[in-house]
Amino acid sequence: MMDIVDKIKGIEGVKVTVQRENRIFVDVSEDKVISTLYNMKLIGFHQLSVQNVIDRIKDNKFEIFYVLYSREYKINAIVRTWIDRENPVIKTADKIYPSAHTWEREISEMFGIKVDGNEDSGKPFILENWKDLPPMRKDFDSVKYSSEHFVFRHSEGENE
Amino acid sequence: MEKMTEEQVKSIANMLRKRSLWMIHYCTGCGAMELPPTMTSRYDMERFGLAPYVTSRQADILLITGYLNVKTLRRVITVYEQMLDPKYVIGFGSCTLNGGVYWDSYAVIKQLDRYIPADLYIAGCMPRPEAVISAFRHLMELIDSGKADGYKRYKRNLAYYKENQRKVLG
Ligand code: SF4
Repeated sequence: MMDIVDKIKGIEGVKVTVQRENRIFVDVSEDKVISTLYNMKLIGFHQLSVQNVIDRIKDNKFEIFYVLYSREYKINAIVRTWIDRENPVIKTADKIYPSAHTWEREISEMFGIKVDGNEDSGKPFILENWKDLPPMRKDFDSVKYSSEHFVFRHSEGENE
Repeated sequence: MEKMTEEQVKSIANMLRKRSLWMIHYCTGCGAMELPPTMTSRYDMERFGLAPYVTSRQADILLITGYLNVKTLRRVITVYEQMLDPKYVIGFGSCTLNGGVYWDSYAVIKQLDRYIPADLYIAGCMPRPEAVISAFRHLMELIDSGKADGYKRYKRNLAYYKENQRKVLG
């Protein structure tokens, strides 16, 4: 395990934290994500398990993370980066990990993040006729939206 | 032989109908897991003349399990409208009734019977096969007594249902 950590530390601009056995956090700045992912794949992390976003609204940031897995070493490595919440744009990773293409499409719909280089980002994916804030943002008020659009049952019986 | 009255014909039709029900189940929310034991030898719903079916055009019962959201509601309505009369709808689980634990979700439509008429609900999460079977038995009674008239209500109140559908589906 430690030799892998050393190899990852060799990538330019990364901050590596070993959280526990077989789980490593790799923090990078926004502009180095793609090159880091490329190098991680060269090291042996061939699988992108999950790519998603956490809305860090208190810091006014989106946390983008890529959960990578290596079957060879049985290690999870999580590449993380933070971008501003205003006009969020990330670069596509689908040339390195093809499955990122679909994850990014979901991210762009659920968080309103534009994905440069992914021609499907911004196209409707899961939601239909969505006109509000992207629903996974923390400042989106789900209760309010739900009560405005869908009627709650208060009394018994059918509403005829 | 005397000629049968219309009432008598209807009641015989209902009696026969309730003994041969085919069910299409729409399981995008939850509960699909409860149906295999209901259908197969453990609880064996075929002893009541019920059978699972794969196409909407031949089915009599539409069993909808769990939450419906804007996306799945559109499909459910298509399936429902493809079914031939007489047709019956059973809502399974709290979500079809009032949204269940997803009452505050941005996508879950909460009340099934605003969009298509439900003949019966099985409340609670999740209904075990016993509850499903007892719902079927209850539905049979409703059919026998002519009270399972959701498909007639759908035609009668089409404007109401269509307006509700349009409101959420756009
Ligand atoms: S809350 Fe109940 S009805 Fe809704 S999906 Fe869960 S188990 Fe099914």
